[in-house]
Amino acid sequence: MGKAKGELVQGTLDMLILKTLARAPMHGYGIAQSIQQISDEVLRVEEGSLYPALHRLELDGFIDSDWGQSANHRRAKYYKLTALGHRRLSREANNWSRLAQAIARVMEMA
Amino acid sequence: MRFFKKLRRRWQLDRDLEDELRFHLESKAADTGDASTARRLVGNPTALAETCRDMWTFAFLESAWQDLRYALRTLGKSPGFVFVAVAALAFGIGADTAVFTIGSAAFSWDLGIDHPERVVFLEIDDPSQAGGFESSFLNYAALKSEIHSLSSLMAYRWMPANVSGKGVLPERYHCVQMTANAFSMFGRNPLMGRYFTMEDQHPGAAPVVVLSYHLWQERFGKDPSIVGRTLRVDAEPRVVIGVMPAGMQFPENAELWTPLVSERDWLSGGRGAPLFFGRLADGVKLAAARSELSTIARRFARQRPESYRGLLIDVQPIFELMGFYHARALGAAVFCAVGFVLLIACADVANLLLARAASRSREISIRMAIGAGRWRIVRQLLIESLVLAAGGGFFGWLIAFTGLRWFDSSTSQAPRPLWLDFSMNTRVFLYLAAISIGTGILFGLAPALRLARLDVHNAIKDGGHAAAGGTRGRSLANLLVIAEIVLCVILLAGAGLTIRSAMNLYGAPVGVNTAGVLTMRINLPQAKYARPEDELAFHARLKTRLESLPGVEVASMASDLPMRSSRLVSYDVEGSAPDAGHSPRVGSLLIGTDYFRVMQVKPLSGRASVNAGEVIVNQSFAQKVWPGENALGKRLRLVKNKTPQPWLTIAGVAPDILQNFRHPVQRDPMIYLPYAGESPGGVFVIARTRVPAATLAEAFRQEPPALDPDVAAFEIQTLESRIAQQRLNVGAFSAVFTTFAMVALLLAAVGLYAVMAHSVSRRTQEIGIRMAIGGARHDILALLFGEAMRPLAIGLTVGLPLAFGVTRVLQASLVGVAPGDPITFAGVVVVMVLAGVLGCAIPARRATRVDPLVALRCE
Repeated sequence: MGKAKGELVQGTLDMLILKTLARAPMHGYGIAQSIQQISDEVLRVEEGSLYPALHRLELDGFIDSDWGQSANHRRAKYYKLTALGHRRLSREANNWSRLAQAIARVMEMA
Repeated sequence: MRFFKKLRRRWQLDRDLEDELRFHLESKAADTGDASTARRLVGNPTALAETCRDMWTFAFLESAWQDLRYALRTLGKSPGFVFVAVAALAFGIGADTAVFTIGSAAFSWDLGIDHPERVVFLEIDDPSQAGGFESSFLNYAALKSEIHSLSSLMAYRWMPANVSGKGVLPERYHCVQMTANAFSMFGRNPLMGRYFTMEDQHPGAAPVVVLSYHLWQERFGKDPSIVGRTLRVDAEPRVVIGVMPAGMQFPENAELWTPLVSERDWLSGGRGAPLFFGRLADGVKLAAARSELSTIARRFARQRPESYRGLLIDVQPIFELMGFYHARALGAAVFCAVGFVLLIACADVANLLLARAASRSREISIRMAIGAGRWRIVRQLLIESLVLAAGGGFFGWLIAFTGLRWFDSSTSQAPRPLWLDFSMNTRVFLYLAAISIGTGILFGLAPALRLARLDVHNAIKDGGHAAAGGTRGRSLANLLVIAEIVLCVILLAGAGLTIRSAMNLYGAPVGVNTAGVLTMRINLPQAKYARPEDELAFHARLKTRLESLPGVEVASMASDLPMRSSRLVSYDVEGSAPDAGHSPRVGSLLIGTDYFRVMQVKPLSGRASVNAGEVIVNQSFAQKVWPGENALGKRLRLVKNKTPQPWLTIAGVAPDILQNFRHPVQRDPMIYLPYAGESPGGVFVIARTRVPAATLAEAFRQEPPALDPDVAAFEIQTLESRIAQQRLNVGAFSAVFTTFAMVALLLAAVGLYAVMAHSVSRRTQEIGIRMAIGGARHDILALLFGEAMRPLAIGLTVGLPLAFGVTRVLQASLVGVAPGDPITFAGVVVVMVLAGVLGCAIPARRATRVDPLVALRCE
């Protein structure tokens, strides 16, 4: 896995993937790059956790996959969000913000 | 949906994943400009691929598939074992399925009405006169209004009738007179037209008839315009008002229905009283109905003691009247018998598997040592067993199919209910699948569990002898063999008894020359032939016409045929004091002139033909009533309704003929009376032919309608085939039991052989040692035989008393032999011992041929 400060729990990785795909359909490499860039290199997604997560999400029906052409005309597998995936994303996002606010309140208590 | 997507993806997964990862690597390499770093960063691609694959695989199914392929491979290596096992299972499963098919067809009692189990009939015992109570329409109306436990009271009466029409020969069908309210009870709408209403039941209403689907299909070819046509039913024109849907046949085998007209049809007219029936009201139990009706019966008896004293009314389910209901016990017996065969087959295969397990313990222990869980091993072995069972099931299906075809064709001539259909439907296939899987698990479980409990360490060291070879393994194998022998003994006993029964039956000579006699039945409609003279005239004309056919020697008629039945009559003998109210009874037959000529029976004394005022008796009767005397010239008279009839002189004494099918080997006393034109049940017309009797069948069928288009000829058969059919029941039963017993015997012998062979191979070293230190061949033989005969002896000791008890069930179908017949049981012991000896002989011989040196060295 990655560095200690960049470690992601499995559930959060799923949520990040779903959020990335909510913006646009993307292939696996693109998802990893996107998360890395947007988080300013803090979050690094390794292939060893990315692809199992993608396959698991597809199995559960949150994302769909299809083969397509990449930007440089190479064959790549593109993933997109399903309706179920959208619902899951919003639920996870709510849970995450509640969790984050709770942690923030405790930390502010000092 | 997701499942299928998953399935599809699974096949492409490896390729897809490779492509996906390659793209990822290339993109990364392109971005970072460094190919080698990119590859290193990815980590272990194999592990990654495996992780992803794990998510997509159906782990359980895939390893099961693996197990299956492995099972097929290992089984393929021992074709002999597979052949024996599959053959044994095929016989067991096939026989079981065939019996199940026949049983579920014969015992399903489908009348085509709603809830037939709630329909009951009234069993009325009227001591003053049989059928007297039911013959009164007033009684029916009174009962109908008083009964509460039945939703309504209905009645029917069997009235087989000739159905005639234009252009087609008349035929005889099972017609039923029924009250109109019965149809609404059935809960089935007519296929076409309507059924009876109360108006049709009024005297003076236009005569109508409702047809069954079967009749409509068979006689009228599903003619859509049948409703409204007129048919002649027993010479009476009736309008067809409706056709009932397929499968509806209440009562059993009914082919058409006519209304039971109030009052007029109620009186017997020689046809017997109507049967009262009805459906139990909602929520009412049979016991409640019984008690209500016995109360009502007592009330009738009180109110009209001169007519109905001692009247009893009982309520029975309508099933009691149905064909095979009484054969339930017999059917269960056959089903158990075939279940025994299946169990024996399973025990055999289990033993074979146990023997085989010994040689596989090394392989299994290695597998367990490198990490296979116990359950994985058990699953592997069970899958092997299921493969064997599937093979047995497939071939068993073939065997069942052939057996059913044979059974169907061999019993097609016997009287069979219309609805009997021996085809293998879904229910049968489900049963076949269920017992295949069940037997697979049954015989596979013990060896599998035994192997899985192996002590891995010792098994690898020992080279396989400990597993399944220890005392516990042997005792299980012995136990199985003992069980096989017990079941086999029971089957052999049943077979032996039925064989002797059949031999008695077929061996008993009928007393007439059955070859070359053609028979047919006709029934003259009462409407046209009300006077005896009319009937006599018809029969005389028919006789002339038949005798004028080329190939016919002489024709005659009788009220019944040999090996069927006779009518009991009361009689008085001249010169003996009449015992008031208790005249003795004897079987009687009404015969035409030339009856004995057709049967080619010569009288022992006197004449062979009987005129008015005379009677012919058979020898048994003569010897019973006038022992040691000459019966000719003596007189007797019949007693009808306690009134003596005029005296009859004995004109001849005939030899004994087997008349009653219920006593197929007994020679009952019989008297023969001249036919005088009274035949409410129809008569048999018989003729002796010079040419093969069957060739004249068609000609015979045309003759009665040629004289009168309303008279149908039916049941045209040769006397030989009739009698063969009578005996068919016992013959078929015996054949079935014998087949099962033979198969079981073969399987038990194979079982003994397998146990013995395994025991010998296990003890090769020991035998070698014994021979090396001086044991002679016959000592070894004695040792082995003694060991093998022990389970045989135990099996016989347990099995014989069990067989004795079980075969009691067969008592009703046995002819001339008691269920405890010692000869049969002695035969069983002999056959069983022979089979056991044969089964042990080969391995025992092989054991003595062992070269001690080889044996000592081998493992």
